[in-house]
Amino acid sequence: MLRYAWIVPALPLVGAAVNLFFGKKLGRWAGVLASALMLAAFAVALAVLADLLALPAEERLHVQHLFDWFTVGNLQVAANLRVDPLSITMMLVVTGVGAVIHVYSIGYMDGDPRYGRFFSYMNLFCFFMLALVMAESFLFLYLGWEGVGLCSYLLIGFWFERPAAASAAKKAFVVTRIGDTFMLIGIVLVFLRLGSLEFSRVLVEPGSLAGPQRPSGVYTIIALLLFAGAVGKSAQIPLHTWLPDAMEGPTPVSALIHAATMVTAGVYLVARTHVLFEISGVALTVVLVVGLLTALYAATCALGQDDIKRVLAYSTISQLGYMFFALGLRAYAAAIFLLVTHAFYKALMFLSAGSVMHGLEGEIDLKKMGALRTAMPVTTAMFSIGALAIAGVPPFSGFFSKDQILEMANRAGYTLAWAVALVAAFVSALYIARLIFLAFFGQDRTERRSHESPPVMTIPLAILAVGAIFGGLLGLSATTGRLQVFLGPVLGEVEEHTRGLPAAILTILSVSVAVAAILVGWFVYGSGRIDWLALRVRLAGLHRFLAHGWYVDEVYSTGLVAPAKAGSAFLAYVVDSRWIDGAVNAVGQLFQWGASAGRRVQTGLVRNYGLAFLIGVVAVFVYVGFRL
Amino acid sequence: MAPDHIVFWVFAPISVGSAVAVLVQRNAVHSALFLIVNFFTLAVFYLVLGAPFLFAVQIIVYAGAIMVLFLFVIMLLGVDRDESLVERLRGQRPMAILLGLGLAAEVFVTVRASIGLARGPADFDQVVNEGGNAEALSRVLFRDYFLPFEVTSILLIVAAVAAMVLAQQRERARTRAEAEAFQVAGPGGGVPT
Amino acid sequence: MRTPISYFVALSAILFAIGTVGVLVRKNALVIFMSVELQLNAVNLALVAFSRMHGNLNGQVLAFFSMVVAAAEVVVGLAIIVNVYRRLHSANVDDASLLRW
Repeated sequence: MLRYAWIVPALPLVGAAVNLFFGKKLGRWAGVLASALMLAAFAVALAVLADLLALPAEERLHVQHLFDWFTVGNLQVAANLRVDPLSITMMLVVTGVGAVIHVYSIGYMDGDPRYGRFFSYMNLFCFFMLALVMAESFLFLYLGWEGVGLCSYLLIGFWFERPAAASAAKKAFVVTRIGDTFMLIGIVLVFLRLGSLEFSRVLVEPGSLAGPQRPSGVYTIIALLLFAGAVGKSAQIPLHTWLPDAMEGPTPVSALIHAATMVTAGVYLVARTHVLFEISGVALTVVLVVGLLTALYAATCALGQDDIKRVLAYSTISQLGYMFFALGLRAYAAAIFLLVTHAFYKALMFLSAGSVMHGLEGEIDLKKMGALRTAMPVTTAMFSIGALAIAGVPPFSGFFSKDQILEMANRAGYTLAWAVALVAAFVSALYIARLIFLAFFGQDRTERRSHESPPVMTIPLAILAVGAIFGGLLGLSATTGRLQVFLGPVLGEVEEHTRGLPAAILTILSVSVAVAAILVGWFVYGSGRIDWLALRVRLAGLHRFLAHGWYVDEVYSTGLVAPAKAGSAFLAYVVDSRWIDGAVNAVGQLFQWGASAGRRVQTGLVRNYGLAFLIGVVAVFVYVGFRL
Repeated sequence: MAPDHIVFWVFAPISVGSAVAVLVQRNAVHSALFLIVNFFTLAVFYLVLGAPFLFAVQIIVYAGAIMVLFLFVIMLLGVDRDESLVERLRGQRPMAILLGLGLAAEVFVTVRASIGLARGPADFDQVVNEGGNAEALSRVLFRDYFLPFEVTSILLIVAAVAAMVLAQQRERARTRAEAEAFQVAGPGGGVPT
Repeated sequence: MRTPISYFVALSAILFAIGTVGVLVRKNALVIFMSVELQLNAVNLALVAFSRMHGNLNGQVLAFFSMVVAAAEVVVGLAIIVNVYRRLHSANVDDASLLRW
């Protein structure tokens, strides 16, 4: 089956094309077709995994040449696929979680006038994401990168009649574009300085004979540029502002793209190219710091949001920060493990939020929810499973992945970073507890009738819940977990650290932090003993600060967007309209003026013409006369 | 003083004077008459230069036919009324006079530089005009220039036909109402079509 | 004949120049036409003078043809002037300025 790995991305591509052209005719079957193709892709991916596992660990790499694309000078670009433990992991996440979300969307998007188009875009997105993770060269990775960016734009702005959605899509595209541009420069540098775009040639261990010998400065620049792309796509500081706004899109979109797959492309990129980062050293530190700060920052912002989806959006940013933090610690396998478990529980929570919104006819404000567990028991249960996972409560999957990262931080000697991460973990558990208690417990503040969602929506929730609960089994230990070992040949052996506190103490610490946060949350928001609304009024300034994301958007708006708009207004209305158009028009005017002046020669009077005649004759005579 | 000197210096001023008078007269008929005088002087010059045939032709054709035709047309159109000599085009007159002087000066200079004060063969009348100017001229005309001769005859026919065609007045197609209206005013003449 | 030929040519030049000025200065179409005839005659004089100088009759033949053609030209030209007069009711060339800007 390895040789047929290309079928995995091909299936959603077919689905995208069919739904694009025949979506209207297919009607409700569009969703079924798209989901069926995704399930088939998942099945094929499983078969590929089986084939891969059949090989001995050191040989688990399959590079397949599909076709030659073009050759320019020294650059020969061919479409090559790479199947190795890292890419198969990503493939399974994309196809598996993707398939579940597609099924959920059949029910969620029912009745939408552009139903077929939605599934076309979703399938197209999955195709590009698979192309991204199965790429063997930087160029094809970039192809998938840009493709998922496009699909993100299309899907965020799916309900484009709403101006908020249209501008959110634009914002997402523009902000990620900034990162993408740096990344493109980085890719160009890879080609220029490292000689090739193929992973097999570029991503070789430093110090090996085949490895290129260059000063580490080049690697730092390349790594930082590639990381800039990851910062944009994975919504890290300072290019994170697009993700909360992207919640304008339909909830399945948020679940698939902005939780499980697209935003993790940055994590995948750094993991894949970790060799370059390791040679640099500085780059790894940057990754670590950015990830850690983002994790803490986003967690605080999540605490101040009233929109149920925005809480989850900031939560995603924070969890991605954790993943980058792990990458910065050289715990690449742990980062991927968190990526996988996060895909499960975040998608679960987004879809559950969608179920809540569906049940409340579109309500998103936490202030207008409450005590939903009586009317929507299944959704409550699903959401709570996801919440416990993200809080890091054992035995849910989130506990294992987060705990590993904290443990590696402490035992590798990064004590300060570990402390900050622990604080961030506390805030993470707190905000999610707040969300659960405000929405499902406490007083009923709803203004609409609520009802449970249909099975086509709740069954996918259950499937994801299974992953959220039992996903931890994949990577029970940082060094010997199945996933970590599986990824070993690609991501390097996990070092056994011996500094810092013993592992058991660390685990107890992280669990108690989580439990403490949940208790605080229950006390403030769920028990009814504290009037949290009054508390908010007392802490109004702090609340506003957090709700507006520390005012980063406002700073960008005045500092960057407004000058840019003023600049382009200047260019459009002054330079273009007045100067350039003026110059062009002036040329036209010049000819007109010349013509209208010149036509006065045509007086129609024969005598004038005769005079002109004579002048010419005399001139000729003079000329001839002088020559003689 | 040789006879031809006297002839030249008598008739040259007359010639120039009458030419200037053509220019200056207000009445077109007067201009025509002065032009005839000019043609006569030129005829005399032809005689002096050994072309008696042309002397005759000049008087008969130019003064006798062409100028008569001119006078016919002047009288026909009735444009013998005095013309205003005010020049409405600025600079036209000074420019024209200046350029005219320049033209003449150039020709002087050129001719002086090229032929100087040559006189021509003294035995012109004996050798060239042997048998009389008319016979000599006809010898050249009907031998060396026979084709141009025939062509000019065609030219004259064409000119005659052209004049007839151009000068005719065509009856304009009219409606009955117009015809009745014009019965009162009188037919055609002078009303532009 | 003892008069230098160049005197005749100079005279011819003067007459030609006067004719040119006449074309440009006068407004009556017929007088302009007469000035043109003056120019043609000046040229004829020059031709005959040169014929005398060179000692052959080519100049005289050419002057003869010039007269024939001038006659034909006068015929056609006057017919045109008559036509224009019928339309414009004026023989003033300044009135025939329809082809202006």
